[in-house]
Amino acid sequence: MNFFKRQWMVPYLFLAPALIGTIAFKLYPIFIGFWESLIYTSFSGGAEKRIFVWFENYQYLFDDKIFWKSLEITAFLTIIINPLQIAMSLGLALLLMRKSKFIRIIRSLYLLPIGIALPIATIIWGLMLDPNQGLINGLIGVFGIPPQPFLVSENQALWCIIAIATWKGVAFWMLFLLAGLEDIPKQYFEAAEIDGATPFQKFRYVTIPQLKRTILFVFVADTAANFVLMVPMIILTKGGPLQSTNVLIYEGYRSGFYYQDWGRSLSIVTILTVITLIVIGLQLLFLSEKNEGIKVK
Amino acid sequence: MKKILASLCTIFLFSNIVTSAKAEINFLIGTWAEEPLTPFVEAFEKETGIEVNIQTFPFRDLLATIEVRGNAQADDVDVIFVDAPLVPSYAVRGMIGPMDQYFADTSVNAIFAPAGIAAASWNGEMYAPPLNNSGQLTYYNKDLLAKAGCAEPSMIEAERVTWEEIVDCAKKITDEANGVHGFIFDQISRYYQLQALPESAGGGSGVCEGGLSVKGCLTNDGWMKAGQFYYDIHNTSNISPKGVGPDQTHELFGLGKIGIFVGGSWNNGRWADTDLNYGVALHPYFEGGKVVTGCNSWHIGVWNYSKQKDDAAKLVRYLTASPEVAIHYVEEHNSLPAHNSAILHVAEDPKFNNFPGIVMNLATYESANHCATRGRTPGFLEFEEIVNTSFEDIRNGGDPASVFADAESRIESSMRRYK
Repeated sequence: MNFFKRQWMVPYLFLAPALIGTIAFKLYPIFIGFWESLIYTSFSGGAEKRIFVWFENYQYLFDDKIFWKSLEITAFLTIIINPLQIAMSLGLALLLMRKSKFIRIIRSLYLLPIGIALPIATIIWGLMLDPNQGLINGLIGVFGIPPQPFLVSENQALWCIIAIATWKGVAFWMLFLLAGLEDIPKQYFEAAEIDGATPFQKFRYVTIPQLKRTILFVFVADTAANFVLMVPMIILTKGGPLQSTNVLIYEGYRSGFYYQDWGRSLSIVTILTVITLIVIGLQLLFLSEKNEGIKVK
Repeated sequence: MKKILASLCTIFLFSNIVTSAKAEINFLIGTWAEEPLTPFVEAFEKETGIEVNIQTFPFRDLLATIEVRGNAQADDVDVIFVDAPLVPSYAVRGMIGPMDQYFADTSVNAIFAPAGIAAASWNGEMYAPPLNNSGQLTYYNKDLLAKAGCAEPSMIEAERVTWEEIVDCAKKITDEANGVHGFIFDQISRYYQLQALPESAGGGSGVCEGGLSVKGCLTNDGWMKAGQFYYDIHNTSNISPKGVGPDQTHELFGLGKIGIFVGGSWNNGRWADTDLNYGVALHPYFEGGKVVTGCNSWHIGVWNYSKQKDDAAKLVRYLTASPEVAIHYVEEHNSLPAHNSAILHVAEDPKFNNFPGIVMNLATYESANHCATRGRTPGFLEFEEIVNTSFEDIRNGGDPASVFADAESRIESSMRRYK
């Protein structure tokens, strides 16, 4: 009976399953990953030796130009893909908010990419982007554009991956924004209309402020998802041509699973985790609302 | 109620005892080997009463799975497929164990060809006996060569075709507007096949003496010449198409879209019963250089963390030392044998003296006389991956000198773990 009198415990009990899950499946692996990044495995003399080397693996990494190139590509991808996906998701959500007899069918059509697994979508896009027999070169050929190398070009491969990931991701992120748009009270738009606001002004002064929290969530979640985007790299480009699609997560994967250099692999993953946390922290800092709601005294 | 429960418990315990009495071993193989090996694995099961659970994986996934299980020191694996050049890597890291004791009652020299034993061994011990071997040849489309006015390459050693002659002819054949190219490698951008280029140009395997360094061995004149050749055929003369993967090359040749195809003996089975008017010749070499061809293939090893090593070794010996398995591979899959009996079979059966059977004879000759064993290093996994990527980068327009310099520094860095 005493137990039920201790009401302060109730919220913690409700939170416990999620907390245990977070500790077991997020924090513990992060800790293990960091710990293993301080270990160097040597096969010198024909026997495996695990040596604790403090930050030597990181030191090797910072002297490695492949790592810096990967970091540069990751930064470029992040700067391009996140705003692009959010802008397109928002645009699509606004379009699908319009009243139409067929709006449910149209919405369902736009949601189709969500139902296709990324590996399958990647394979299909890979076939379409084939420089020799691909559909896309056939299509652009109709407009007199010469065949493009796409995934085998150092200058085009990353853009192709951005296009594939965006095609797949936009509909998913749009769902959240659509739900956010549906939640904005209609009276706000009616009041703005009575005040003579133009469509752009309604978007700027009603939609965006009301949607800020949803946009923040989508921005953070999308950024985190794109930092670990590597399925198209594994299936289509293997980080090439000339390392042009060799993002950090793929370099980490390759170091571990291809080269068996787990110290290097986990150092990269730890650095990527830190970068992700910093970027998300900055997003929260600059995009979150300072005054949340009305404070009731 | 108690009686029912007691009966159920008895049945459960009894069924467990019965199940555990039967030995079961897990065998990791490549998808391509499932069809040829299954009948022999079934025969092994009948003969020994040991149940074999075959798990198949595509090439890259097989290697990755072996690595993951090895890192976990998993004991749910008993026998694995081993790519010949990975024998030192698996041996050094303790993933496969020596097999000599399981062949103590016989002479391995009497069973396997010397090259197979060499590839199976590390530091004087045999770790993974060979299942088969491989050989590379020049296949050519007779119609396309005739149309371009090229002479057909020869099967005679003294008239062996050179890479320079191949390029000259391929230029005449190439008609990009109609999707026809003069030349293609079977295994595009893979070290296994392309090693023959630097070797022929005097550049060696890429791995330096001792197997623990590549410094200066990937950036020497031979490798530069090979890299420039590979760059030119894809970017200058354009006799070879870009964007085509190793799984598509034989299809293009089969469709009559390629003039000359340098590839493995196993391709013969793909075209022998079609209308394709093709011929076969010896492997090319650089004018004034060495004659070298790719060789070696798959081996089988006992997983060092297995709890049933004796049963696992029985399966390895059954599959590798049986002449029936080796001859089946020759007859049904155009795969070169590593087993002496099957090599003799190829030499003696008259059908291998005429086209298309002669492909086996020529490939056996190439492998026996001009085999370029892949670089022997415990770091082969990293080495091969980086060299493959480098060739692909060169194919896509990368400067050979800087690409190989990058590769050399990267491999050198990863090799520090073995020094």
